[in-house]
Amino acid sequence: MAGFRFIDLAKPFLPLIPEVEIPYEKIGFDEKVVYTIISALIYLFTQFPLAGVAKDVGAGSVQDPIYFLRSVFASEPRTLLEFGIFPIVSSALLLQLLAGLKIVKVNFKLRQDRELFQTLTKMIAILQYFLLANVFIFSGFYGENLSVVAIVLLNVQLVAAGIFATLLVEVVDKGYGFGSGAMAVSVVATATSFVADVFGVTQFPVDGDGHREAQGAFINLTQSLRSSHKTYTSAILGAFNRDYLPNLTTAFLVVGLAAVSGWLQNFRIELSIRSTRARGINNVYPIRLLYTGGLPLLFSYVLLFYIHIGAFILIQIVAKNDPSSLIYKLLGGYSSVNNLLYVPQFPLSLLTPSKSLIENLTRQPLTAFTFTAFLVVSSVWFAVVWQGISGSSARDISVQFKEQGITLTGRREQSVAKELEKVIPVASGAGAGVLAVIVATGELLGLKGKGASIVIGITSAFALLELITVDYQQSGGQSALAQVLGAPGGGF
Amino acid sequence: MSSPAPPGGQRTLQKRRQAQSVKDKQQKQTPASSRQAGFGGSSSSVLKLYTDEANGLRVDPLVVLFLAVGFIFSVVALHVVAKVTGKLF
Amino acid sequence: MAKGNTQIERITEAPVEFVKEGAAFVQKCKKPNTKEFSKIVRAVGIGFLAVGIIGYAIKLVHIPIRYLIV
Repeated sequence: MAGFRFIDLAKPFLPLIPEVEIPYEKIGFDEKVVYTIISALIYLFTQFPLAGVAKDVGAGSVQDPIYFLRSVFASEPRTLLEFGIFPIVSSALLLQLLAGLKIVKVNFKLRQDRELFQTLTKMIAILQYFLLANVFIFSGFYGENLSVVAIVLLNVQLVAAGIFATLLVEVVDKGYGFGSGAMAVSVVATATSFVADVFGVTQFPVDGDGHREAQGAFINLTQSLRSSHKTYTSAILGAFNRDYLPNLTTAFLVVGLAAVSGWLQNFRIELSIRSTRARGINNVYPIRLLYTGGLPLLFSYVLLFYIHIGAFILIQIVAKNDPSSLIYKLLGGYSSVNNLLYVPQFPLSLLTPSKSLIENLTRQPLTAFTFTAFLVVSSVWFAVVWQGISGSSARDISVQFKEQGITLTGRREQSVAKELEKVIPVASGAGAGVLAVIVATGELLGLKGKGASIVIGITSAFALLELITVDYQQSGGQSALAQVLGAPGGGF
Repeated sequence: MSSPAPPGGQRTLQKRRQAQSVKDKQQKQTPASSRQAGFGGSSSSVLKLYTDEANGLRVDPLVVLFLAVGFIFSVVALHVVAKVTGKLF
Repeated sequence: MAKGNTQIERITEAPVEFVKEGAAFVQKCKKPNTKEFSKIVRAVGIGFLAVGIIGYAIKLVHIPIRYLIV
């Protein structure tokens, strides 16, 4: 197979894969806002229950094995978006990583190669939707003994929803919206789930007596304080402690994590620069601590997802979660909790933060070390590799400096790259490490994935906000939306 | 004071060769990502997937948005059919 | 034997080195001051909540539909 490359696999499918057109003319600022938000909202609307799921799903059957990974990938169990944006994000991250490490050979200077690479990314995303759909179908997650019609229908729904999710992301990516579609979806989904957890008004039955409680922790508190069957103390205690629905403790933790990541986002080293063309023009060039933003964490969670899906296939489909089987003994099995969740047992539990801090300390004390170590190591590794391959490495930036006629104060032009090389990889690695420790702490306190998703959501929001600000300034601040909202816009 | 080296000669040749080899090296080094090649794509903190237009089935973005909504309503319809007929599957 | 030792040393040294460099970097970093930080928090917080409320409104549309079909 001389000369055959991995990306050539996409060649026969090139004419078949739907492709969003590149905009003919420049899209205005307002239009971009509308496209971004509408795409993300349609994505949210797609989180709709699947048709064809057996009615008796629930007690005693297969439960959700990846509940603590879901909010990171904006996925919801037994809906069309069972896997959220995971297949899209994972295929993009992994392929770009492999191409950057030259394991997959792509010549990014050639248009043909870039097109093939992009189509391959999309194909692998859709293929993953299909494979994951069937893993879940044959594990019995949608009910045992499904008819052939039901299996086909579930496949069609899950894969079609996946294709639409891919296309929605593509609409934003291609320049109709701001920055990255996957990140826009992630921000909107995180924000929505936060609002639902705190202010959600939907009522759920919580006990046999027909009492109902609101989903939102804050709404629940006000309701409980006014209700007749609870004392003030029990209402307040319940609002902070309930574990069947979101409680105020998690809400405060999430807000805290968001604040910390927003604070870290503004850690930076300011290198002073000067123009090589004109004298006396001095400025600063900031290098952020979070140089790679939330992407390293996203990568760590992609790895976690693969590990847990792999384990789920082995334990549930191969070994039927049977405690006497060899696989169960080697990997650990699942125990059903509240008829909702599948909680992994030792040793799989080493990579699963528990539902509460107390359980973490008493039942799986090792997890605190293994889970944190896993997040830190994988994030830092990714960050250091990614800063080198993503077109923002020290060398790329020194080239940019040269083009714009600037240099670091007190350095010759030739040594700029060397100087930046001392700063950028350290910043990326340290930033990713700090962020990983914060997320691990949050998760070990029992946030069930909400910690990771808020940190990724906030860092993504900052990355997008930066693009939006630049765009706004380039458009000369001519935005009807900004005027309506009364915002001076791009304030920082 | 020694006379300056004459123009041309060994040194200049060497210098030229060196410059040439550096240039070659730079050209041979293929970029690691589409942004490094200067064509958009993921940056250090933004993950981008689709930036080029491949020769696929071209669709308008508005068509995508409408089809996506249409798809969701077809699933709603599927639910309704399943409910009305009692047992479809 | 000596070779093995240096290798092990290298493996254990790398993370220590990394932590040292990272900690030094974080210390050198310019941190946002309170005024700057509160401005950022307000802007991002309001944006985040606004987007979340719009998103939640969309999710609320699901409820009557779910009620109809279940």
